[in-house]
Amino acid sequence: MPGNLHLRLAVVGVVAVSLFSALFARLWYLQVLDSGSFVQAATSNQVRLLYEEAPRGRILDRNGNVLVDNRRSQAITVNKAILERAPDRDEAKVKLAALLGIGLEELQRRIDDVRYSQYKPVPVLEDATPEQFTYVREHQPELPGIEATIVSERTYPNGTLAAHLLGYVGEINDTELAARKKDGYRLGDTIGKSGVEQVYESDLRGQPSVTKLQVNSAGEVLGAPLDVKPAVPGHDVQLTIDVGLQQLAEDSLAQGLAAAREQVDRNGDGRHYPAPAGSVVVLDPRDGSVLAMASYPTYNPGDFVNGIKPEVFAAMNRPESYFPLTNRTIQGQYAPGSTFKLVTATAATAKGLISPGATIRDTGSYTVPGCKGEQCSFRNAGGQSYGPVDLRRALTVSSDVYFYQLGARFWLGRGQYGNGIQDTARAYGLAARSGIPLPSEQKGFIPDPELKKKRHEENPKAFPYGGWFTGDNINMAVGQGDVLVTPLQLADAYAQFGNGGVRFAPRIAARVLDRDGKVLREEAPREAGSVDIAPATRDAILQGLEGAVSARDGTAAAAFAGYPERTLPVAGKTGTAQVTGKKDTAVFAAFAPADQPQYAVAVILEEAGFGGTAAAPVARRIFDQLAGQPPGPIRLGTGSD
Amino acid sequence: MATLAAGSSSRATVPARTSTASPWYHVDLVLVAAALAIAAYGLVMVYSATRVRLGEEGLDPAYFLQRQALFVAIGLGVMVVTAVVDYRVFRDNAWVLYGGTVVVLGLVLVLGSFHKGQVASFDIGPFQLQPSEFGKVTMVVTLAAYVGSVRGEMGARQVVTVLALTGVPLGLIWLQPDLGTSMVFVAALLAVLVASGVKGRVILALLLAGVVASVLVVQLGVLKQYQVDRLTSFLDPQNDTQRSAYNLDQSKTAIGSGGLTGKGLFKGTQTNLSYVPEQHTDFIFTAVGEQLGLAGSALLLALFAVVVWRTWRSAALAKDTAGTLICVGVLAVITFQVFENVGMTMGIMPITGIPLPLMSYGGSATLATFAAIGLVLNVHMRRFS
Repeated sequence: MPGNLHLRLAVVGVVAVSLFSALFARLWYLQVLDSGSFVQAATSNQVRLLYEEAPRGRILDRNGNVLVDNRRSQAITVNKAILERAPDRDEAKVKLAALLGIGLEELQRRIDDVRYSQYKPVPVLEDATPEQFTYVREHQPELPGIEATIVSERTYPNGTLAAHLLGYVGEINDTELAARKKDGYRLGDTIGKSGVEQVYESDLRGQPSVTKLQVNSAGEVLGAPLDVKPAVPGHDVQLTIDVGLQQLAEDSLAQGLAAAREQVDRNGDGRHYPAPAGSVVVLDPRDGSVLAMASYPTYNPGDFVNGIKPEVFAAMNRPESYFPLTNRTIQGQYAPGSTFKLVTATAATAKGLISPGATIRDTGSYTVPGCKGEQCSFRNAGGQSYGPVDLRRALTVSSDVYFYQLGARFWLGRGQYGNGIQDTARAYGLAARSGIPLPSEQKGFIPDPELKKKRHEENPKAFPYGGWFTGDNINMAVGQGDVLVTPLQLADAYAQFGNGGVRFAPRIAARVLDRDGKVLREEAPREAGSVDIAPATRDAILQGLEGAVSARDGTAAAAFAGYPERTLPVAGKTGTAQVTGKKDTAVFAAFAPADQPQYAVAVILEEAGFGGTAAAPVARRIFDQLAGQPPGPIRLGTGSD
Repeated sequence: MATLAAGSSSRATVPARTSTASPWYHVDLVLVAAALAIAAYGLVMVYSATRVRLGEEGLDPAYFLQRQALFVAIGLGVMVVTAVVDYRVFRDNAWVLYGGTVVVLGLVLVLGSFHKGQVASFDIGPFQLQPSEFGKVTMVVTLAAYVGSVRGEMGARQVVTVLALTGVPLGLIWLQPDLGTSMVFVAALLAVLVASGVKGRVILALLLAGVVASVLVVQLGVLKQYQVDRLTSFLDPQNDTQRSAYNLDQSKTAIGSGGLTGKGLFKGTQTNLSYVPEQHTDFIFTAVGEQLGLAGSALLLALFAVVVWRTWRSAALAKDTAGTLICVGVLAVITFQVFENVGMTMGIMPITGIPLPLMSYGGSATLATFAAIGLVLNVHMRRFS
C-alpha cells in the first residue's frame, strides 16, 4: 500500500466532516430559522374541529301553526375529499352503489351534484332505511369518507305558502361570510337568504356544536374528544300572519289573475289581458301587523334546500317567468291610479283648498285654464260626466275631473299651498320605506318640480322634460304621472286613514320564542308617522269610500254585489293606472269594518284592466271570508276605474 | 500465515488487562461509550415513538422497547465476539464470510418472507433476520481482506475485482429490492477505493459511470415507480399528491416544530400521533427532532460524530492495510447511513429505507452495527500486536 495513506484517510475524514456539517446546517435551518412555520403546521395537523350546525328555529304563524320546520333525516353522505383520495375508493363506490340499489354512474352523479357545498359531505341518500344506515356505520373501514348521519333540513309543511315572506335558506356566500365571520359562521354554513329567514337569521340560527378532536395522520380520532360544546338550537319566530288568511289571499290573487286573463281589453287592442303578476297585502290597521302578504307568481322555497338545481334557478330568472323570487308587495312599484285620490282629497281639505261639501261640475273633461291644444284637455277615464260632485261623490264614482281641478288649483296656488299633495303623500308614508323588516323594499316615488328637474339633469335621455307644468299636478292628483307606490305602502296608507291617521311600520314577526314556547322577545308595534284629518273631512272621505263599494254607481259596486255589507262594512277605492306600453294596472285598496277597521287590503294586478273589474273581486273574495261567508269562485264584474 | 497470530492473540486474552501488551489494555472506551450512549438514546426514542400507538391498540406499550432492549443486549454480545476474535482471523477467512453472505442473500430471495414490498428477511419465530444488514459488515471485511492482500498499486485488474466482489451481493440486494442498502454498499466501496490508493481519475470515472447507469436505470424502468417517486420527491416537495412527499412534509414539520429544545420527551404531536411514518424505524430521527429539539438532535449527531471520529482514528492507527480498510469501510457504512437517514427526514436526501444505526428499531441492523463497532475495537486494540 502506497505511503500517502494519511492523505487518503484525510480525504475520507473531510468527506465525513462535510456530511455531518451539512446535517447540522440543515438542522439549524429547520429548527431555528424556519421553526415557526413548522410549529404552525404541526398544530393544525393534530387538532380537528368538527362543527355540526344546530337545527334552525321554526317559523310559526300568529296562531302557532308551523310554517317552516326542520326535518331530520337519516342520510348517507359522502365526503368527497376523503373518498376520492382513498386508495380503495373504487371498491367503496361499488359497495355503496349496491347498498343504494343504484348504478355506479348514478352514484357518481349524486356525488358530483353541484348543488352541494364543496365543504360539506354530500348526501347521496336521504331517508335511508335502518338497514342501510346500520350497514354504513358497521362497515366504516371499507367505506372511506362515507358516513351515516342525521341531517337536519328545512321543510315547508304548507308548500309554497307565504314563500316570499318566509324566504329561503342557502349556503353562505363570500360576502355574507365576510360580514358574519365574527358571529362564528363558517364556509358551507346555512344562512337565510331572503324574507324572514334572512331578517331573523340571528334568532333562527342556533349555535353549532363544536367538537375538538385529536386526530392522527390517517384522520382517525384518538380517544375521547378534547372538548365538546353542544349545539344550541335556534329560536322560533312567530309571525303576525294568519295561515288561513294567507292561503285565502294567495288563492284569491291567483284566481283573480286567471279571471283577468279571460277578459278582453274592449277599449284597447281587443286582446286578452296578460295579467301575469300581482300582489295582495292584508294589514291590521290597529297595529300594522301583516296578516297576509301574497305575491304572484311564486316559488317553492323547498327548491333551495340543500342548494337549488341550476336549471331551476335559471328558469326562475328568465323574463317569461316574471321573476317569481321578487316579492312584489314590497319590490313592485306601481302607479296607484285613483286610489291615490285619498291623498289628494286629504291634502286639498287640509289646506282649505276645498271644503268637503263644495261641489265641482264634472262635465266629463277638464281643460287647463288659458291653455290651448290637445295636451291641455283631461277626460274622465270612462268618458262619462257626473254633473256637480262633492268630495264624497267624487270618490264614490271616481270623478277624475273633480281631482283634476284640485291638482290644477294646487299648482296655480302653489305660492300658498306649496307642494301640498306631495307633503300629504309623504305623511301617508309614500316615497319612503315602510319600515317593514324585510330586505330589498322599494320606496316608490312621489314627483315634485325639483325632483323632476333633478331627474332630467341627471339623465336627460330617460327624462326628456325637466319643467313642471299644470298637467304634471293634474296627473299626480289622480295617481298617474310619475307617482309610484308599492302594494304594501298602499295598504298601509289606507290602514292609516282607516284608524284615524296613525301609520304603523308594518310588522311581520310578533315575537321570538325558545323551543319550549317561552317568549324571549316581543316585537312591539311601531308608529312610523301620522296624518291630521279633520272629522268632517274624514266623514266625507269615508262615506265616499263606502259608496264606492256599496252605492249603486260605486266603482266597485259590481264586484261587491251580494256582499254582506252589514256584517263587515267595507270602505274602498278602485284604481286603474295607465302604464306606457302596457295594459292598465288594476288596483283596489280597502279596509273593514269601515268605522273601526281590523283589516286593510291592497290588491294590485299588473296588466289586468280596470280596478273595479279585476282587482276589487280579489279583495271581495277575501272580505267574504272575513265576513263569515264562504268565498266563492271569482267572477269578474263590469266595474270600472 | 495470520492464523498463527490469531491463535496467539486469543490465548493472550486470558490474562486480560494485566499486561500493557495485552489488546484488552487498548480497548477504545470512548467508542464503546459513544455506541452505548446512542443505543440507550435509541431505546428511549423507540419507546416514545411506539408507546401511544401500542397502548391504543391494547398492546403492551413497552413491547417495542423490550424487543429493542433484547436486540441491544444480543448486539453487545456480538460486539464482544467480533472484538475478541482477532480481526485477522476474519480477514483470512473472508472468503468464507463472503461466500456465506452471497449464498444467504440468494436464499432469501427464494425462501424469504415478503414484507412491505420486499423479500429481504427470513422469519425466525417472532423475529425477522435481514441478511443484507449483516452483508454490509461481511462486505467491508471482504473488501479489506482483498485489498489488503494486494501487493503494490491497485491496478485495473484489482479495481475490476473489487467492483465484481461488491457487484454480486449488491445485485442480489437490488433484487429484493432494497435500494437503501445497495447505496450503503456503494458508499463503502467508494470509501475503500479512495483509501486503498486508487487514482483519483479512476474514481471519478467510476462515479461518472455510476451516474450514467443510474439515469439509465430510471429511464429504462428498472426501478419501480414508487422507488422513483420516493427518490425524486425531495427535489420537488410541493408535489404533495405523492404519498412520499406527504411523508417528507410531515417529517420536516416534526423536526422543524421541535425548535431549540423540543416539545418534551413523549410530547411530540407529530411523532406520537403517527403523522410521521415508520417513526420507530427509519424516521426515528423525527421523534428526536420534535421532542428534544435542536439540543437533542445535535447531541445525537455529536455522538455519531464521536463514533466516526474514533473509527477514523482506528483506521489511522491500524497495524495493517486490512485493519485500516475495515475501519474505513465501517466509517463509510455508518456515516453514509447517518447522512442518508437524517438527511431524508430533513428533505436533503431522497427517502429510502435505511435505518439510523443503533437508533432505529430492528434486530438485524442493531446486531450488524454492533458487529461493525466490534471490528473497529478489534483493529484498535490490536494495533500493537
